[in-house]
Order: sequence, then structure tokens, then C-alpha cells
Amino acid sequence: MDALERRVFLKGATMGLLAFTVGGAEILMTPGEARARAVPFRTLNADEAETLQALGETLLPGAREAGVAHFIDQQVSVTPGEALLEARIVNVKPPYINFYRAAIAGIDKAATARSGKRFAALNATEQHDFIDALRQNKIEGWQGPPAGQVYFVLRSDTVDVMYGTMEGYESLGVPYMAHIEPDKRW
Amino acid sequence: MATQQKVEEKVDVVIAGAGASGGTFAAVLAKAGKKVVLIDHGPDWQASDLISSDTWGRRIKPAGPPFILEGKQVAPIGYHGGWGVGGAALHWFANVPRLLPNDFKIKSEHNRAHDWPIAYEDVAPWYDKVAHDIGISGDAKAEELWRPAGRDYPMPPMKTFKNGEVWLKGFAANNIRMVPAAVAMNSTDFKGRPACIYDGWCHVGCPIGALANPLVTYLGEARAAGAEVRAWSTVTRVLTDASGKKATGVEYFDRDGEKHIQPASVVICASWAAQNPRLLLNSSTDKHPNGLANSSGLVGKFIMTHITAVTNAMFDDDLEPARGTIGGQFMSYERYSKTAHKGAFGSTLFAVGAAAKVSGLTGIHNSRPDLFGAELATFMKRAVRGYTRYTAACEEQPKIENRVELVSQKDEFGMPLARITHNYDDNEMALWTANLDEGMKIGRATDAKEVWQVRTAMPAIHLMGGTIMGTNAGNSVVNSFGQAHEVPNLYVAGPGIFPTSGASNPTYTLFALSLRAAENLASNWSTIAG
Repeated sequence: MDALERRVFLKGATMGLLAFTVGGAEILMTPGEARARAVPFRTLNADEAETLQALGETLLPGAREAGVAHFIDQQVSVTPGEALLEARIVNVKPPYINFYRAAIAGIDKAATARSGKRFAALNATEQHDFIDALRQNKIEGWQGPPAGQVYFVLRSDTVDVMYGTMEGYESLGVPYMAHIEPDKRW
Repeated sequence: MATQQKVEEKVDVVIAGAGASGGTFAAVLAKAGKKVVLIDHGPDWQASDLISSDTWGRRIKPAGPPFILEGKQVAPIGYHGGWGVGGAALHWFANVPRLLPNDFKIKSEHNRAHDWPIAYEDVAPWYDKVAHDIGISGDAKAEELWRPAGRDYPMPPMKTFKNGEVWLKGFAANNIRMVPAAVAMNSTDFKGRPACIYDGWCHVGCPIGALANPLVTYLGEARAAGAEVRAWSTVTRVLTDASGKKATGVEYFDRDGEKHIQPASVVICASWAAQNPRLLLNSSTDKHPNGLANSSGLVGKFIMTHITAVTNAMFDDDLEPARGTIGGQFMSYERYSKTAHKGAFGSTLFAVGAAAKVSGLTGIHNSRPDLFGAELATFMKRAVRGYTRYTAACEEQPKIENRVELVSQKDEFGMPLARITHNYDDNEMALWTANLDEGMKIGRATDAKEVWQVRTAMPAIHLMGGTIMGTNAGNSVVNSFGQAHEVPNLYVAGPGIFPTSGASNPTYTLFALSLRAAENLASNWSTIAG
């Protein structure tokens, strides 16, 4: 990476910009912008993305609009060495898409067994109760990665998207204090 | 993968791993005129790659490390490990408490664990030397409450902030004396590196060099003295001659999968406590059928960690929890006696006043892992002002069952993966519980509105052991210099050579041991290198 590329990259990093593919070209934008512009998912299918958005929204209100599904989709589409996911540091074995696919499938299967509907189709109370059971490893007949780990990783992803950026700190009313200040906000 | 191998020109020293310990050896030996090559499996990070973001900070950590983790309390690999030049010390917290004299003689004094083959007095001069090499801020005189006198630190203590100061009342009420934390960070400009700006992003790497990471200390000095760093290259075997008594170099694979042989007069394994045993076990020959330097059967054994007992608190005041540094503001050895807690054996070290960001593994949200949804959002808005925590680091006793061993699965270079098995026992549970119980008393003696702890799992930090030092090949893998008993021109460097863990963060000690060993090697070069 040359000096100019690195400088541009650093500005993007603190702003939470990631490379998304639009019309065959890679464009830096936030996951929220990617969602607003309906950027196609690279790896997730529509059902998987729908479930992830519903999970994110249950874990932290606003995560759907902040682009949690686009964030995860972009991150599982790059090499493990480039990935910025919490999964990376809690011993999830790459490729990370395998973990997410298994987690989403487990959640939808369990939701269907409990309520006859996929997770995204549950009402808000049912979704909350499901997540509360998931975090306590109390999903009967759970099939997938360890339920507690699924909860932990998805919750961390959601916190990353909602709070782990300059805009996220601003929403909480605290200064970000980056070493290298970006020249614009998103 | 290519089947050809490229034989490189012989060098004096080849070092597997360009982190804290490898960089220290490289600096001393390159400055002594030796031709040094460091080989590291990850990127060649620059200071400007260290982005102030918990999300982006994960890039400098392993992505799918070649270990299978088993046990009730798995070994700390993903968060604590390093990936690339600088190693784990690129993102270390830079707390630099020393081991104390009682750490070196547990067997003699308590008939437990191991004695070190050296005493505190053998290491103390090197602690002092490291402090002045890399820059440490603190109050050495104040620490003499608990340890023998030594040199003053080169810089005064760091600034303190409300998120640390609010704990002092609670510790005082429990008769626990606190002193300024010793940290490898600049409270003033030091050796051309700027003073800290207290923005709290240390744990994802300090790009300004106020924190003593390897890039701006020993590794930087090594490069300036001519040491070569080969990034994106993975050492897979240490090679030995037909007698099995002399290391001849290493085998490694570059980024394109090409195999190289790097001949050298001295080989140093400096790839952390998990990878060094994997490398030695994969270097078996007819003379070393159970792995290199492993006639004792102890390569990979006695993996150790520290257990953290964390106490959280919420105040009404705005404590600005994100400000300061990730290192402590205050520390205490008041519970460092091995028998400080009734019914539990082992030392405890207190570190108080680390900055807390809003995301990442150490983020504020993880102090309440039970919360999600609107409750989490409400908690976060309050906690970004009123939250603080302190950590009691607890000693784990070495257990031979906690180990690194090879498995049949292999990585992209054909090197077997390793399984790390790690469990705590009832003693560690008792020590952790005692510290949590005391933590509630300390917290309740402050002005906090709420005090809480997460007691659902015992968090493990700091990987040590696996290639422990001792007096001979029957009771250990290496001597006190990290020199393999069976292969004198082969060294193991880093926290893996600790025979016991103490409760002090390990990096200062590994710097001191590495500096001691490297200077001994340089002074005895012709005898050791042959």
C-alpha cells in the first residue's frame, strides 16, 4: 500500500467505510449507505440477509437501517486476513461465512420449530424472547454453532455497526478522539 | 505448492517471529555486527497502519490461527495473539509490573509448581535496562513497598483521570495501597518519541509511538542496525545436523508457497508460547523422534495463563471512561503473596483505570453481556459517562495437562495444526472467587451507584509456558537464557520459557529475559555459535 492509498484508507477506516461493489466497481461507503442504495449482497442470499437484519434490529434498535446485513455480507466476502469481524478474535474458524450460515440456519430452524415461522417473521416480542433464550443456551433442540457464541458474535457485529464508528460515538454523545481525524463525517 | 526449495545465503542468526522477544534478540545481535534475519508469517505493519478503531484493530490479530482450542477455559489466542511484524506487542496494553522475588521460588517456599533456575536478582538489572531502553513511566520508589530497590524509571508517572481515581477510596477502605502504574508509555517525550495524548486507543496499536511497541523500540533498532525482516513467510521446521546436537537453520514458506531453507549459525524461536512448541514438535528427526529438544517430553507442556477478576461500577459523575490509556493508572501488589487469600494459592495484581471504549472485546457493552435491544441502548448512553472497572489478575499454577500438541490436520504448508488444551482447577476457581468477593467490597466502598461482576466464565489472558526453563533436560526444555538443553545453538524466546506465571503481565519480563539472553549470546558467540 503506498502512502496515498494508506492515507485514503485511514480516513475511510475511522468513518466506517467499506468497499462495496456497485455496477462492477468498488465504491467506499458505509454499510448504511450500501443498504439505502440497495447494493446487492455478494455472498448472503435474500433469506439470510433478511434474518440477519431482523436479528440485528432485535439486538440493537436501528441496526437494520445502519446496514448490519451489508456489513456482515461485505466482511464474509473478503479474505479472512482482511476481515474485521469479532468472529476473527473469538476463535471462529474461517471462512467466516460458514459460521454465519450455520448460525442463521440454526436460528431459522429453531424459530420455525418454536413458532412455525422464520425469525424475521416473528413479532417483536417473540424475537426478543427468542434472543433471550439463545443467549442463555435455552433453545430446545438447537442445531448450529454454540448458541452463546452466536449471540456474542452477532451482538458484537451489531455494536460495531451502531457504535464502533465516529458517527456511533457521536450518537452516544462522546468524542471519538482518533489519532488521524477524518475530514468528513458520514 | 512448489516442490522446489530455494536455499538462502547463510546468516549468523535466523529468528522465527518478529515480535517483542524476536525484536529484542535482533537488536542486540545486529548491533553486535551479526547478520540477522527475522521471518514473520504476517504483514510488515507500519505505524501508520494502526488505525484508531476497535473494528479495524482486529486486522493486526490472527485470522484463523492454526490452533484447535479445547478445555473448559480455552487458551487466549485470538484476542491476545499477534499477526504480522510487531507480533502481539503491536497491540499490547503496556502494563509493566515486574515479577517479584516470591515468583522465582514457589517450589522451595511452598512445595508447589517449579522454582526458576534464576532468582529475582538475576533479572532485576535487565528490568532496569529495559525500562531505559524502551521507556517506562511510573514511580519505582513507590513500588519498593513490595520489591527490592532498583533504578528509577526514566519518566514520571502518567496523568490520571477520574475513571481511575474514583477507585482509590474503595481500595483505601480495604487497606490496599495503590501506587502509580508502571507502563511502557511516554508521560514525556522520550528518545524522539512523543508523549502520550491519552486518547485511549492503545489496544489497537499506537501510531504515534508514545507506546513502546516493537516497531519503535527494539525491532526498529534492529532494522536500523541492518537486520532484515521477511514478512508473509512462515517457518515450518527448525533444521538440525546429523548429530542432532546443532541447529543448522530453518525451513520456511513464502507468500507464494515457495519453500526456502535459511541456514544460520544460531536459530531463535520467537513465535509466542503457542507456536514455538508447535514448531519444535514439527521439527522431529531420528535423533529427536518426539520433537526437537524434547527428550524430557515437556515441549508443549505447562501452558499457563492469568485469570482476570473484573469489577465494574457505574457512577453518576461523568468519568469520561474512553479517556486515558488502556494501561492502568494505578496498580498494587498488596495481594501478591502466594497465600494472600485464605483457601486459595497464588498471587494477585491489581490494575486500575484502563480506558473503556464503546465497542470491541473490552468494550463497555461487554460489561453487561446479558443486555440487548432497547435495554442495551439505554445502558450504553449511561455507561459512556459513568462506567469504570478495575482488574485483578490472578496467577495460574502450572499443570502438565495444559498443553500444546500436534494433530493430524494440516495447514496450507503441510504443517500439522496444534491442539491447545487448557483448564483451570479448583484452586484457580477459589482465587478468582476470592478476588471477585473482595472486588465487591472495594466497589461498594467507593461512591459508585452500582457495582457488578460477570461471573459466568473465568476469563483467561496472557499465554505462557509450553517450553519452560529449568536446570536440566530432565525437568525443562531450555535454560534461563532460553537455550535448548539438547541443542545449544537453538533458543526459545518469549513467555513460553516462564516456568511459573506470577500474576504480573508477562511482556516486561519477556523483554528482560530476552535482553539478558541476547547479551549473553553476543558475549559468548564463538562458543555457542561454533
